[in-house]
Amino acid sequence: MSDRNSDIGGLPVEELVVKADEAMRDRRKTRAGDSSWVRTWDHFRREWQIYVMLLPTIIWFIVFLYKPMYGLQIAFKDYSIFRGVADSPWVGWEHFKTLFSNDQFLRAVRNTITISFYNLIFGFPAPIILALMFNEIIHATYKRTAQTIVYLPHFISSVIIAGIVITAFSPTAGIINTIIEWLGFDAVYFLTQPEWFRPIFVGTGIWQEAGFGSIVFLAAIAGVNPSLYESAVVDGANRWQMMWKITIPSILPTILIMLIIRIGNIMEVSFELVILLYQPSTYETADVVNTWVYRQGLQSGQYDLAAAAGLFNAVVAFVLVMTANTLSRRFSRTSLW
Amino acid sequence: MVETRQGGAMSGVELDGIVKAYGALQVVHGIDLNVAEKEFVVLVGPSGCGKSTTLRMVAGLEEITEGDLTIDGRRMNRVAPKDRDVAMVFQNYALYPHLNVADNMAFGLRIRKMPKAEIATTIADVAEILGLTPYLDRRPADLSGGQRQRVAMGRAIVRHPKVFLFDEPLSNLDAKLRTQMRAEIKRLHNRLGVTSIYVTHDQVEAMTLADRIVVMNDGRIEQVGTPMELFNNPANTFVAGFLGSPPMNQIKGILTETGARIGNTEIKLHGAINGHAGRDVIVGIRPEHVTLGQTDGTSSLPIELDLVEPLGSEALLHARYGDENMVFKADTNGNITHLAGVAEVHVPAHLVKLFDAETGRALNLGA
Repeated sequence: MSDRNSDIGGLPVEELVVKADEAMRDRRKTRAGDSSWVRTWDHFRREWQIYVMLLPTIIWFIVFLYKPMYGLQIAFKDYSIFRGVADSPWVGWEHFKTLFSNDQFLRAVRNTITISFYNLIFGFPAPIILALMFNEIIHATYKRTAQTIVYLPHFISSVIIAGIVITAFSPTAGIINTIIEWLGFDAVYFLTQPEWFRPIFVGTGIWQEAGFGSIVFLAAIAGVNPSLYESAVVDGANRWQMMWKITIPSILPTILIMLIIRIGNIMEVSFELVILLYQPSTYETADVVNTWVYRQGLQSGQYDLAAAAGLFNAVVAFVLVMTANTLSRRFSRTSLW
Repeated sequence: MVETRQGGAMSGVELDGIVKAYGALQVVHGIDLNVAEKEFVVLVGPSGCGKSTTLRMVAGLEEITEGDLTIDGRRMNRVAPKDRDVAMVFQNYALYPHLNVADNMAFGLRIRKMPKAEIATTIADVAEILGLTPYLDRRPADLSGGQRQRVAMGRAIVRHPKVFLFDEPLSNLDAKLRTQMRAEIKRLHNRLGVTSIYVTHDQVEAMTLADRIVVMNDGRIEQVGTPMELFNNPANTFVAGFLGSPPMNQIKGILTETGARIGNTEIKLHGAINGHAGRDVIVGIRPEHVTLGQTDGTSSLPIELDLVEPLGSEALLHARYGDENMVFKADTNGNITHLAGVAEVHVPAHLVKLFDAETGRALNLGA
């Protein structure tokens, strides 16, 4: 009896016990795996409508953002339309060397960063200030009317916006120059002078987007617990103190999230508006990376060089958004992810 | 140490014909109430009865439509909340989420430009009283519900106001913590002696905390009095049904020469009926006033026992008499088996309350 037990299937009992334990563990793992799949499948079956709604976004990302990434490799190739992406020969960092030895590209990078910096300094706070001002308006009808008026420019095409700006600053019929002439000064052809491009561009951007951008901050303000204000009123705070000590700190996480997103887009100066407003005489201050890529890539047919510039743009934006997110998480407990 | 208001100027609150209306909709219909200095008054009533609105009018957070509000002898109708010298504790604590405990408590003092050193001393003292010293650097999100509630009270206490206003401050806490915090509020009031108005819909909070209870219903005061006055002598069926847990059983009956007839049963009453026989009444019997055994001066009320709910030392007997549902309390003595066969309860004559069947007002026929 003991002999049979000690050697079942040619293995001693101790080894059999160990093997049985292992088999049990494997079975448990498989069961756990199964149940996780079952749970996922059950969840999918229960919530399939949500996944269907998500599908268009996923498809959009795949078609317009992930699939084109395949073409990014031409930044490292001597790309020929006839050979195609796959068969064009590799040239390593050649296009990047060309880019960084090209004065026009370096000027475009400088202009992009400068305009973005101005946008950040003046354009980013504008919707926040606007939202805080809207929040202080007590009269409901006046508030709604004012909001509608400032939201409107967002819904107007950039082409029309540019047309309005060009007309307004026109040296002959523009309202600005008319006022200047009324004041006894000579008319200025603003849009041909490099030093005026950035203020006009940044100002136009604020006019077009500040109102619409304020919606996010207004929503954040609406989410502030009203009893915080009531408590502050009883404590003796006036409206100014409530704005600084309650409203702004309460919407700070939203401000930081929007700032991180904005920093991520720092290399994405509004391409259409620059194209519509700049002229060769203002390239010195107006030509940005995207317009340079457009001219080189589409107009001069240097797709590989343009792809290298675009990749550079993306890498810089990626580094910036990662840095901003990390800093924000560390100092304010707020982050995008 | 924290200063307490002692003697000196009266810091009572007087509401004289206070009305609140939103357009054509009147929600508070002329409240008259005097809260004496150092008194702890609880406004209690069901949701929507106007108790919070009344409190908010005292705080200055709602405009008073009609009537006069006086604090410390000064008319306050048009005075800004900050100048009323009141401090309020809100239902959801209203703590500033971006500030730590110390800064939350210091908020009102900084607004009032109190010197920094004085702020630090005051906060240290109050934190000590409330057991918040270890948490001064924490933000509200890192505190438990009870700790947040203490911070909210601390923020009110540091101001040394003439009047504390509490707007359902314990309703977000679980039952155990609520009991604990209730005792803390009572101790704090005894220690600080500040006039307090406390709003709650919880009659247990009202009974345990109040020097006087104000029972409100539908924008009106139903009755004002000490907890035991209201419990023993409710002015009407609403107060009788609101205070007490479970509430007073209210059964339709008719007065006879010797008592009140409920269905085929006569309940003997204490005192003379004085020729009111035949009058329709509501007979009020507190669940805890009945006994299971017959004693002198009790009347037997046959019941159909529906359900026994054991609570530990006592049990609730859910029963029916005719069409009426009733609840009674009985001692368990550690066992509920003897309650299963209960077929009648005995009602002591001197504890039965009578209310007019039409108006619901208390009747005192024998007095």
